[in-house]
Amino acid sequence: MKKTFIVLKENYLRQIKSWSFITLVLAPFAFLIIMTGISYLEAKNSSDNDQIAVIRQVKKSPLNSYELKKQGIDVTSKYANISAAKKALKKDKIRGYLTAKTENSQVKVTYVGSSNLDNSEKQGINNIVGKYQQILNIRQSGINNKQLKTLTRKPSFKQKIQNSSHASSIKEISTMILIFVMYFILTTYASITAQEIASEKGSKIMEIIFSSMKAIRYFYGKILAVFCVIITHLAIYFVGGWIFFEVAARTKSLAPIIKKYKPLIDGVIHNLVSSSLLYVILGVIIYTILSALCGALVSRAEDASKATQPTMVLTMVGFFGALSLQQSPNNLFVRIFSYVPFTSSFFMPIRLVNGTVSPLENTISLVILVVTIVVMLIYIGKIYGGLVLQTDDVGLFKSLKRGISTR
Amino acid sequence: MLKIDHLSKSFGAKKVLSDVNFKVPNGKILGIIGKNGAGKTTTFHSILNFITFTGTILWNGEPLTEKDYDQIGYLPEERSLIQKLTVKEQVRYLANLKNMSTKEIYQKLPVWMDKLKVKGNLNDKISSLSKGNQQKIQLICTLIHQPSLIILDEPFSGLDPINVDILRNTILEEKKRGAAIIFSDHDMNNVESLCDSIVLLKDGHAVINGNLHDVRSSFGNTNIFVETKLAISRLKELPHVLSVIEEKDGLYKLIISDEKYGPEIFDQLTHGQYIKVFAQQPPTLTDIFKKEA
Repeated sequence: MKKTFIVLKENYLRQIKSWSFITLVLAPFAFLIIMTGISYLEAKNSSDNDQIAVIRQVKKSPLNSYELKKQGIDVTSKYANISAAKKALKKDKIRGYLTAKTENSQVKVTYVGSSNLDNSEKQGINNIVGKYQQILNIRQSGINNKQLKTLTRKPSFKQKIQNSSHASSIKEISTMILIFVMYFILTTYASITAQEIASEKGSKIMEIIFSSMKAIRYFYGKILAVFCVIITHLAIYFVGGWIFFEVAARTKSLAPIIKKYKPLIDGVIHNLVSSSLLYVILGVIIYTILSALCGALVSRAEDASKATQPTMVLTMVGFFGALSLQQSPNNLFVRIFSYVPFTSSFFMPIRLVNGTVSPLENTISLVILVVTIVVMLIYIGKIYGGLVLQTDDVGLFKSLKRGISTR
Repeated sequence: MLKIDHLSKSFGAKKVLSDVNFKVPNGKILGIIGKNGAGKTTTFHSILNFITFTGTILWNGEPLTEKDYDQIGYLPEERSLIQKLTVKEQVRYLANLKNMSTKEIYQKLPVWMDKLKVKGNLNDKISSLSKGNQQKIQLICTLIHQPSLIILDEPFSGLDPINVDILRNTILEEKKRGAAIIFSDHDMNNVESLCDSIVLLKDGHAVINGNLHDVRSSFGNTNIFVETKLAISRLKELPHVLSVIEEKDGLYKLIISDEKYGPEIFDQLTHGQYIKVFAQQPPTLTDIFKKEA
């Protein structure tokens, strides 16, 4: 156990300290930072000339910056008169300017600009001046309070959201995330695992190690190390994602978007931590074991990608099958493959999301998967020494046959 | 003591080892010699339990178990270390696997680096070291935990004469410490200068097995070294001489059919006169190897 832990620690540290791992983990963050930086700089450059100047021509102008900003319109009141605003518009410092005056109890608003106001801006301005016009109209009509009450009566409008469909869409998004995350991990780590083992196999270091411990214990340490690296990778993304959302929620430009989608994000995160995640974790373990076996069958590191083909084919079957059949949880193939190890990690989450699987069926599938993992771990662990210590290039099947017969 | 009885191993239909027997007491060195493919590495792999075999391998009277692994120091035929690691990390990893504490490793490592005259620092990457120095680091990994059973598969290959001497002295120190040592080598001079006993493997069979002195003596004193002004053609004409090899100017090695003809040849060469060199000796290990392997 102690030696297995030494192997785990050594392999784990070596992998996470490697440039390939650092690049792999940091690349999405670098991309995110670059994209956010570009958006920020663009927003900063365009923030001035996106503003609309509000010119108060009269003392009691219905338009003021406070009310307009409340309507979500980006305005500035730093230009005191039309000529100053005109100059600013000419120099492209502002998008346009807005003036309002009242003539014969009618509010007249004028917008002069380099581009059209969009509908929400028009709506916002209308809301403000509409209320002001209404006050002027009531004053002029001389109606009493009762009549005023009758005239200002508003229709009732209620909105009811059906929770079930909302929850279902959250689950679908969660499943998609799980399937994509699993596909990404498997395609990335299957080749890394096979490559790592194949390169070790080509060297005599394994003979030295196996003179210190049993090959099966080394194999367990190796698999655990790969698994810990994957977990570290995911944990970094999880923490990174959480920091991003926290920062975004405090950023002026992104806060409204985060606020709008917060229930959806919360729902997805909640769903990610469910039994579907268990299938993904177990799926990653079983595919890692298979990749390790594939790596142990070739004699040169260059052949590792060739050896991982069985893993890749199974991954493709699971991934594309799950993508195309995610809307058909009762399909016969989905039902069958949700019990078959290697594909159950892709197909069972579909059935779980749609609620078409009973707790018993879920348990049976999990038990089959766990038992397969245990059997594979024990069997491959037993023949691992025989596979790794032979260095002749005899092909995959002959290599497997020899490995089995050596032990 | 390591004791091997009736060790046999086949790969498919091919028999690689056949009824091999030997023992290595503590504080003794056994040399396993033989041509390439004779079964030397397979013997080592059997002792280390890398492969299945028939027969018995006993260490101090008991079959080797996992707990005995900590007492073994093994240097494989080809040198191989993890190139990305530093010297310190590499030795720590392999010595940790021998149940040695990191503290003890860091105390002993500089001593060993000094002893084997490794040119490099503890924090140097393995990849930055020369081949010879990498080989020394691998030897440190083999010996730092003071194993009781040391298995060295061709430890001298690729070393220059100075490093051969360093390694030879190190092996002798380990012997003095009380370790049972087995090693294989193609240079018979190394085997002859280090070993107490030898096993010569031929196609998986131990054709020679025993104390080095006894083995050499069993072939009789059939080598005659003589320094003479006589021509090589004249020496070849002498009775009972099978072959003549000129060792250096004027010094010849005569191989005779039986040691009993030594005095007769001496008489013929001297005719009662003074001769500078005449020595009758058993064959060297190289001669035995060439004849038997």
